[in-house]
Amino acid sequence: MIQFSAVTKRYPGGSDALRGVTAEIAGGEMVAVTGHSGAGKSTLLKLAAGIERASGGSVVINGQNLGALGEAALAVLRRRIGFVFQDHKLLYDRSCFDNVALPLRIAGFPRSEAARRVRAALDKVGLLAREKAMPMALSGGEQQRLCIARAIVNRPTVLIADEPTGNLDADYARAIVDLFVSFHQVGVTVLLSTHDEASLGRLGCRRITLANGALVPTQAPA
Amino acid sequence: MSAWLRMHAQAFRDAMARLAAQPWASAVSILVLAAALALPVIAAVALRSAGAAAAGLDTDPHINVYLALDATDEDVKRVERALRSRPDALAVKFVPRAQALQELKATTHLAEILSALDRNPLPDAFTVRVRTTEADRVAAMRSEWSRLPKVDQVTADFEWSGRLARWVRFGDRVLWVLAGVLGIAVAFIVGHLIRLQVLTRREEIEVSQLIGATAADVRRPFLYHGLLQGGLAGGAAIGLAALLAGWTSAELSALTPGYASELKVVFLDSRENLATVAAAAALGLAGAWLAVSREIRRFSAR
Repeated sequence: MIQFSAVTKRYPGGSDALRGVTAEIAGGEMVAVTGHSGAGKSTLLKLAAGIERASGGSVVINGQNLGALGEAALAVLRRRIGFVFQDHKLLYDRSCFDNVALPLRIAGFPRSEAARRVRAALDKVGLLAREKAMPMALSGGEQQRLCIARAIVNRPTVLIADEPTGNLDADYARAIVDLFVSFHQVGVTVLLSTHDEASLGRLGCRRITLANGALVPTQAPA
Repeated sequence: MSAWLRMHAQAFRDAMARLAAQPWASAVSILVLAAALALPVIAAVALRSAGAAAAGLDTDPHINVYLALDATDEDVKRVERALRSRPDALAVKFVPRAQALQELKATTHLAEILSALDRNPLPDAFTVRVRTTEADRVAAMRSEWSRLPKVDQVTADFEWSGRLARWVRFGDRVLWVLAGVLGIAVAFIVGHLIRLQVLTRREEIEVSQLIGATAADVRRPFLYHGLLQGGLAGGAAIGLAALLAGWTSAELSALTPGYASELKVVFLDSRENLATVAAAAALGLAGAWLAVSREIRRFSAR
């Protein structure tokens, strides 16, 4: 499903964020990426989602080598991958409904079909009653769930989340983790990063551990 | 409806919504653009009106030869022979003084004054259509004919009409330069307005690109915005010019009776109006394209 082969990433003027990472995530699998902050977790996830390009090595998703895709093709590929951003990337000038509808607008869905899917996604994360609210009026946990609703509205086969339990209370974090487990249970490939041991334990999945941009030998599932 | 059509419809609606969201700002910017576009339209109307007035005039090159008032029939015949002997003279037409008086009474409002006179003040005259408008040869003919006995005056009336034609051609060129310069200005103004729009929607563009919008997807609503602004400004420019034309044409036609040639405002025809709106829309599109492409390039430096 997702294959990293000797992937390196060097940011202009910065140090190497990833150094020769080779890993594979099978279709339908759930994998947690762990490591200290600055280990390269976010970079790995962005490469897997086609948001950034590798400096060396190759990233292959569903048999497609991302390095070989042009800008437009890469953008279209991103539509099939749900991404939950660490900093949410919500648009604060529009309602929850419109935030979740954005991916469908981009894909050119008919409005009635889009509305149906938006409500289904909001319902899934428990925010259906807040569809008209502005994101600013939501709590941190609710904003996180709104971001998840936007990531799943396109019914992606791959869901990637960068620190989805980041700054949340234990209760909120548990609810979010359970949400991802439920996506995994219906066959979605889930790749998420976290440094929170409680969440990792609850996920109970394979881990990829990074340290200073390199892979740390794999551990058995907890 | 295909996804492609839907995305265009969506971009169009989006652009309309943005124009409607700030009605005053939109109206002011469209008026500014319209004022810039109205200048070449007004210049074109003025030029066409001048051209139409000039076309109504007899612009065949001819020289008028007026005889002295005391010229006899014998003198007339002698002058006529002399005129006809010149190879540059294509046709020689004699206008007897009685006929000239009748024509003057018929075509002007001087009838009462003329009939108050106890004798005809007009001389016999010849109208000679000539082969050439070359200044040297015309001057030669004039000096040769004015030396003939009983010839009072020789005038070459077509000099001014040649000059008028040249002025119209010159005006035409000025018009194109004006249209070009103001067209570029319009593209840049639209580009600037669109750039401001892009900057205020920077976050939305960034997020859209992250979740799968291509550069074309991002560009599309802004292009429609530019297209609409340009097209509306083109329509408003024609409206402004039409208002001005209507306002001046009453004055202009009031001037007409005193002259033989009719003066009136000749407005652009419907095809030219359409072409003006289309050109304005295209300028808006071009301005938007330049602005958005530049801004997007700056965002997507990853």
